[in-house]
Amino acid sequence: MKGIVFTEFLDLVEDKFGLEVLDKIITQSNLESGGVYTSVGTYSFSEMLQLLQHLSAHTSISIDDLLLVYAEHFFGVIEESYPGLLATYKDPIEMLSSIENHIHVEVRKIYPDAELPTFEVVEKTQNTLVMIYKSSRAMHHFGLGLMNKTFEHFNAKASIVLEKLNEDGTEVKFLINKN
Amino acid sequence: MSQDKIDMLQRALAREKAARKQAEKILENKAAELYEAKQKLEISYAELEALLNKTDSQLQGVFENIVDAYVIMDLWGNILKMNDPAVDLLEFEDKKENANLMDMVHPTDLKLVSETFKNLIAEGTVTDSNFRIITKQKNEKLVHVNASIIYDNGSPIAAQGIVRDITELNSLQLQKERLLEKLEKSNNELQEYAHIVSHDLKSPLRSIDALVNWIKEDNKDKLDAVSLHNFSLIETTLEKMEQLISDVLMYSSVGVETLEKETIDLDALVSDLKTILFVPDHVSINVLQPLPKIEGEKVKLQQLFQNLISNAIKFIDKDAGLVEINVKDNGTHYEFSIKDNGIGIEEKFHEKIFKIFHALNKSKDSTGIGLSIVKKIVDLHQGQIWLESKPNIGTTFFFTLKK
Repeated sequence: MKGIVFTEFLDLVEDKFGLEVLDKIITQSNLESGGVYTSVGTYSFSEMLQLLQHLSAHTSISIDDLLLVYAEHFFGVIEESYPGLLATYKDPIEMLSSIENHIHVEVRKIYPDAELPTFEVVEKTQNTLVMIYKSSRAMHHFGLGLMNKTFEHFNAKASIVLEKLNEDGTEVKFLINKN
Repeated sequence: MSQDKIDMLQRALAREKAARKQAEKILENKAAELYEAKQKLEISYAELEALLNKTDSQLQGVFENIVDAYVIMDLWGNILKMNDPAVDLLEFEDKKENANLMDMVHPTDLKLVSETFKNLIAEGTVTDSNFRIITKQKNEKLVHVNASIIYDNGSPIAAQGIVRDITELNSLQLQKERLLEKLEKSNNELQEYAHIVSHDLKSPLRSIDALVNWIKEDNKDKLDAVSLHNFSLIETTLEKMEQLISDVLMYSSVGVETLEKETIDLDALVSDLKTILFVPDHVSINVLQPLPKIEGEKVKLQQLFQNLISNAIKFIDKDAGLVEINVKDNGTHYEFSIKDNGIGIEEKFHEKIFKIFHALNKSKDSTGIGLSIVKKIVDLHQGQIWLESKPNIGTTFFFTLKK
């Protein structure tokens, strides 16, 4: 998993819960990296999983909700670092439907070895979008958070229903309706 | 500050330091990777450039050395590049000249050319398009164009064409057609003329014949044997003269190729001839092998066989005359032979006999035209004729006819 996901996560934990909590979850986890992350590095996903589990245990917030909040924070990183990418879109539905064909293509330019989820567009109209998320990481709520923020970015509102297609959440259907 | 907190802060600091070092290390490695990649790119760029230069100069060579005018233009007809023959053909000052090819098209052919251009863009190629242009020096030329579209990533960006000046070729073609027409006309006139002349020549002969007969009748008691003999010589000469005129007419008509070619069964033709010709009892005519069918004109082929067979019969001096007709296939042609056991022909005459009016034996029924007609017919059938002969033993005529 790309280092930027870790560094941003740790920053957010420190911001929201303080350095003590951050120190705690790092020391509790058995991390190959020793909790040393740089945005340009690449680290094992299991480290992120451990950090999330310990944070969830400490805060009594579900992992899904943690991911949701983290994603909303992460969208801010995108807004700040890649304003040009967002400026190419006028509409949230357009932007979300081109994750696979445009945004991920751009991501691979910067992080060639990134392991990205897939978002298959099943149905698309002007105001609705149905997509199937597939990723072994089951970070669908991270996706959901990014989607929420996407609508917010375009000053739009939407109801997004998330429908798990399997038990472990590695395949999830997103039903998006723009209001 | 509590010791725990100090420891915690130190741990955080240590992580930050380590992260910085890690990042620096990663970036260093990346820089090294980039440097290597750049080196590789530079090498392959140099190689590509060399290859491109080579291909470019090869293409330039082709472009310069091509004999035909070669023009590259954009999709609106503006000339982008042309070779020396193109400069000559279009009568420009030099290769640098800016011009639009559509502006050079002859006004009457403009519609045709713009249609062709549309086709070119739609189809990608246009072949054998002929139209007139007006060159820079205001000369009208007829050109023949083959053109194709140059594509870049699937979309048309330019057109290339090979242009040939066919003005002269075209006028030669027209000239040839006119000459042929004229030739046909004069041939017909000549044919008609030959008919008229032969008719006109024959009628005084008939008058002389009649007059001689009257004189003979009126004076049949007064004429002595010598005079009567001379009269009969006059009659014979008159007959020969008439035969000569008929033969000349026939000779002149043999050269006229009619278009009525058909499949002729030579077997049937020769057996018909055997019944028509006068064959003395002591002469037998044998066809040794079935004769083939060939494409030709019946009348001429009949003349051919008739002349040779009757010649063979005519010059037989033996008690048992024998004429043998045979054939063999030599691929493109059939080779026929007509053999007799007649008086033979001395070798020194072998060439001469095919020329007109070269009868070796002066007789009333030999005008010396027969073999020249034979030769002409064989020529018409793209064949050859020759003979083998020994005096007093016999003669064999060989001739070939194209299948």
